[in-house]
Amino acid sequence: MALNDWINYADYSDLQNFAYYPYETHNIVYEIGYNLYQFLGGLVAWLIDVIFPGNGLSTWLMSGPVVNLFAVIIVALLIFLIIFTGVLVSLWQERKTLGRFMDRRGTQIGLKGFLQCVADGFKTFMKENTVPKKVDHMAYMWTLSLVIGTSVLVACMLPLSDRFFIVNYDSGFLIVMAIYALAPLFILVSGWAQNNKYSLIGGMRAAQSMISYEIPMLITVCAVAILAGTFNIGGVVAAQHESTWFIIPLFLGFLVFFTCSCAEAERTPFDLAESESELVEGWQTEYAGMKWGLIMLGDYLRGFASCAMISLLFLGGWNIAPFVPDNINAILPEAVQLLKGWFVFFLMIWVRAALPRVRIDQILNLGWKVLTPLAIVNLGIAVVLKMGGFF
Amino acid sequence: MAMKYLDKYPRSTAKRLWVLKPLWSTIKLFSKTAVRRPVTIQYPYEKEWLPDNYRGRPGLRFDMCVGCGVCERACPTQCIKMIEVPDDNGNMVMRPQVFLGRCAFCGYCAEFCPTNAMTVTPEYELAELYKKNLFWGPRRLHFEDTTPEMEVHYEVTLQSDIDAGNPEKRVRPFEVDNPVVDEGKCIGCKKCERVCPTGAVTMIEKGVNEKGKPKLVPVFSHDKCICCEQCVIGCPKDCIHIEEVL
Repeated sequence: MALNDWINYADYSDLQNFAYYPYETHNIVYEIGYNLYQFLGGLVAWLIDVIFPGNGLSTWLMSGPVVNLFAVIIVALLIFLIIFTGVLVSLWQERKTLGRFMDRRGTQIGLKGFLQCVADGFKTFMKENTVPKKVDHMAYMWTLSLVIGTSVLVACMLPLSDRFFIVNYDSGFLIVMAIYALAPLFILVSGWAQNNKYSLIGGMRAAQSMISYEIPMLITVCAVAILAGTFNIGGVVAAQHESTWFIIPLFLGFLVFFTCSCAEAERTPFDLAESESELVEGWQTEYAGMKWGLIMLGDYLRGFASCAMISLLFLGGWNIAPFVPDNINAILPEAVQLLKGWFVFFLMIWVRAALPRVRIDQILNLGWKVLTPLAIVNLGIAVVLKMGGFF
Repeated sequence: MAMKYLDKYPRSTAKRLWVLKPLWSTIKLFSKTAVRRPVTIQYPYEKEWLPDNYRGRPGLRFDMCVGCGVCERACPTQCIKMIEVPDDNGNMVMRPQVFLGRCAFCGYCAEFCPTNAMTVTPEYELAELYKKNLFWGPRRLHFEDTTPEMEVHYEVTLQSDIDAGNPEKRVRPFEVDNPVVDEGKCIGCKKCERVCPTGAVTMIEKGVNEKGKPKLVPVFSHDKCICCEQCVIGCPKDCIHIEEVL
């Protein structure tokens, strides 16, 4: 269903025949957004109508297409807000869990440390927004917004349940991976545009590591798609609910995907691009104030998206387990998906706590000589299982 | 070069699994710390348990102090100074004043105090806005909840005791030492009687001097003497010295 179809006035009457217009299935976010606009917009329209009785604006505000438009805007805001809160929780989780890994307490600022991220955001907002004189200003700002934008897009495109999504599209994982793979280009351009040796080195490192880790990741997604028979995210989850979690037949693929997503999200064993002990802050060196804060947020959004993808691909997504009956699964599937994502994020934190940063040649060796063959072996296992009729 | 490196670090499967060891040790620590509290103490909100004889700032029991000045001489950082203050009856007496900016909290003043008037206290949060406020006078040094555990006793095993086959600890063994006067040098000036904080010195007439006049010499009461050496310091003719007993 295209964007035009449900904003277009001409096709509006046809589309209204769907029970869950503009979606084909029940979408709880749209329902909330629709009711919220019915209330808020209705209040505004009523007030205007009280002051100017019989005006056209109130009628226009509450007409079908306009209600739809505003409801969809509310849906976009809601989904971003929920994902954003999930990312803040994972930030808090990282701080506290890393603390326990080192036998200390972690952050303590408000609500058991949860308000630390609010304090950080406030601090970065208060900072002076400096831009170095000799940067390529256009590339500097554009790449920044594109890196953050793609990260937000990836994180928001992953559904939390079969009733909590923006678009339900058949090429689901392919589109997510495609947007995921856009960031290295922007990071490379950004490193070049900053006119700084640390940024350039960081940008090149980010580009090469991300490019070399894209490939095993995509091959693993292909193996899962072969088992599930579809790239649709809901389809993959449904296939796991019917048979079993794909971590059991494709454990190799899980390991490969986990390692690669650590590298993709630039998390610690693979944070060569932003290695603060060698390069100042990697490709983010020249970004000051809230620009840097948003980059950090984007990084964590990518990590969150990686964890959500692992949960969807290997851990059964929003269904609790294959043997749990459907009526129990249907109670709060969004929470199940979020919890599984946070569990995978815990594994990432564990790896971060345990392992030091790898060398630049080791990361390439690992990517090309270990993970890519393992991903291909995993693909072979998937093909054999599918041909053998097990799935 | 490459061959040398490979000879030194041969490739082995076990070494390629090196990631498993740190993963195991970290998860072990995590599973411990997830159950029990971390060792960190939130200092301003919660404080560590202190033993009774914790050596914080020195405390002074004003009435027990005799003003002998042993603490002043024992202090390694020389932060104690004897000053003249009125006591409860209005008489001027000598009492220690402590400059806590220099105090090392060693507790030697309490350890060497002959009357146990000086104690250690568990107070250690002593920040002040001005340096002058760090001079703690004798009245301010008073600590409300002084317990017997806060007294510090000077316990020592003497070599002479070990030689005599009695290797037991003695408490304040040097307080039984005696001041001895060289009567030939003494001029009978009564300075020792004036400076003695416990009144252990009495001047008695004994013999005559070169001019044939009666002469005063000090006699020390060993029951009262605390061996504070004030008479030794005060003597203008250096005719008193301390004689070790043990």
